Amino acid sequence: MNPEPATRIHGNAIKAWRVNALLYGILWFAPLIIYTALAFNYNMDSSRSWYFGIDWLVFSPIALLSFICYLLTGVLLPKIRWRRWKYDVSEKEVDMLRGIIIKKRTLVPINRVQHVDTRQGPVYRKFGLSSVTISTAATTHEIPALDDETANDLRSTISTLVQRVKDDV
Amino acid sequence: MMSEFKRQHPVAAISKVLTTIKQNFVTIVILLFIGTSNTEGYFLYFLFGGIAITLISGVFSWWMFKYRVDGDELQIKKGVLVKSNMYMSKDRIQVIDITEGVLQRMFGLVQLEVKTAGGGTDTATISAISRDEAEAMRTELRNKRNGNSSSEKDGEIADTEADAQVEDEIISTWKLSTKDLVFAAFTSGNFGLIASILGAASGQMDEFINEETIEYVYEVLPGYNDFTLIVGIVLVIFIISWVLSFLGVIFRYSDFRLERTSEELIITSGLLERKHITVPFDRIQAVRFIEGLIRQPFGYGMINVESAGYDQTQKGRSIVLVPFISASNVSAFLNEFLEEYNEPEYSIKPPKRTLFRYMRRPNYILILLVPIIWYFIEYGWLSLLLIPLATYLGWLQYRDAAVGLGERILRMRYRVLSRTTALVKKKRVQNIESSQNPFQRWKNIQNLKAVAASGAGGLGLEINDLDNEDSFKILRWLVSNPDTNTEANSKTETWSSNQNRE
Repeated sequence: MNPEPATRIHGNAIKAWRVNALLYGILWFAPLIIYTALAFNYNMDSSRSWYFGIDWLVFSPIALLSFICYLLTGVLLPKIRWRRWKYDVSEKEVDMLRGIIIKKRTLVPINRVQHVDTRQGPVYRKFGLSSVTISTAATTHEIPALDDETANDLRSTISTLVQRVKDDV
Repeated sequence: MMSEFKRQHPVAAISKVLTTIKQNFVTIVILLFIGTSNTEGYFLYFLFGGIAITLISGVFSWWMFKYRVDGDELQIKKGVLVKSNMYMSKDRIQVIDITEGVLQRMFGLVQLEVKTAGGGTDTATISAISRDEAEAMRTELRNKRNGNSSSEKDGEIADTEADAQVEDEIISTWKLSTKDLVFAAFTSGNFGLIASILGAASGQMDEFINEETIEYVYEVLPGYNDFTLIVGIVLVIFIISWVLSFLGVIFRYSDFRLERTSEELIITSGLLERKHITVPFDRIQAVRFIEGLIRQPFGYGMINVESAGYDQTQKGRSIVLVPFISASNVSAFLNEFLEEYNEPEYSIKPPKRTLFRYMRRPNYILILLVPIIWYFIEYGWLSLLLIPLATYLGWLQYRDAAVGLGERILRMRYRVLSRTTALVKKKRVQNIESSQNPFQRWKNIQNLKAVAASGAGGLGLEINDLDNEDSFKILRWLVSNPDTNTEANSKTETWSSNQNRE
């Protein structure tokens, strides 16, 4: 009755997201670094080497967990996220389907669209990707990681569709 | 035409001082606390110095503030140290509001606010001028716009009764009777207020609740223990907040009058501070009938409208259209004042298999809350009593959730704590979002959220656990053309027959 959208975003999205996630993913190691710093500080005055302050029973699980999270968000998640992201733009609506665990579907009727933008961060630029943001009077929606050409096409398609609908009314 | 620059009435200086004090109220209170604990006299000098500076700057700013309407513009010159000139072209003026503050009323004056679209910061406030002058200015600023015939209806223009223009002819009027006002005040239990009072009180608790006072209380009131003391404090706070919200309603909605012209709704209300709010029909984004927890058993609620700026740059606001109305009168009221908002029958309800989910859901927060309360507070285990309450709330939420799809109107009824019935025109629904977690996927159900424009982020109307099919039906309905009858309008099932209607 209501087919789900089928268009996928660009395959390079996985790579771009991976790079992003691996860059920002350093944050996963923050607890580890803090712990090490604390242990180091604690052991400052003693004559032993600095690493004696580290309790390996604490250190290794934190390290392992950080590493797992880092790999999970850096390698696995972008792929799943890409696989789940689908969209469609028709004359009447913009239809978006996404979500790794919670499946979200958003329908924006074309004649509610206020303006359309394309955006490109440094990592996206490296991979020749852009994202398209669609704003209504209330909310903003983003279709991420389309290649530049598709993104620009989509932007102009939507804005001409909007124009046409608005003229009709 | 006023072509020479004018000053406001000198009361503006006082008004300015009062606003400064109001804005810095928290700072002043804190300073007072610190100051009075400091026994040396320096503090008084600071205080008087501060007051003197505020007074002088108030007088200066009144002196420097000049305004005029020149040609197509409202021009304002102001600023003591930094001089600024503000020119507002009539075409861009969106809102002209006339308010009578307490201070202004004492001198028979009004405050005139002129707002343009954009930024939200472009407001010219003339805080004290005579009513006649304000009305003359309003008419003038508005008249020029009538010249550009097309833009007339775009403006949100504050009204007064003495307006002579034809389109402002009042078609119908609704008034809040004194009896209803008192009822409204009685039933206006405001939980937000309670929370804020608790918050404010907790800061001062240490001052009041120490060993000595507790011992004193024990002596004075034999038979009190910790438990009754806590209950007592909660009760006192409850009563205080209830009295405050009672007074709040009385002050805000005294002499409440709603008038309808062909273009707009005009609200006039207030005991000390009279407010005139104008809501043009073409800006109404959604209408909500809200039945509060205390009001619903008596069959009463209030009606709010969401109004957004014409060009969407202006911030939206939620306006109380009717502070107190019986549920049985809502349809009649809508017919008379908002006839475009008919009420489609409820055709979609969450399926029976979701009842248990509904009853479980409000309990999730308790899973976190109860152990904490149990652990930290004596008699905390009493919080277990919340579980049946939460379950009952869940059941109510299940019973109340319903969607009606009209040709042009979406009607959604849902409950968080109060029951809300929202009516949104199809063309005002900005988007619809459905979401489904793995458990819901398993049961073929999903949550649905329709968004109407209102302020930042919009107003979300959410219903949980609708059948997939029904949810799709609503999604389809949104993009179907209202003029051609599509599948969305055909009702296959009618749930509403056994439902209590409003």
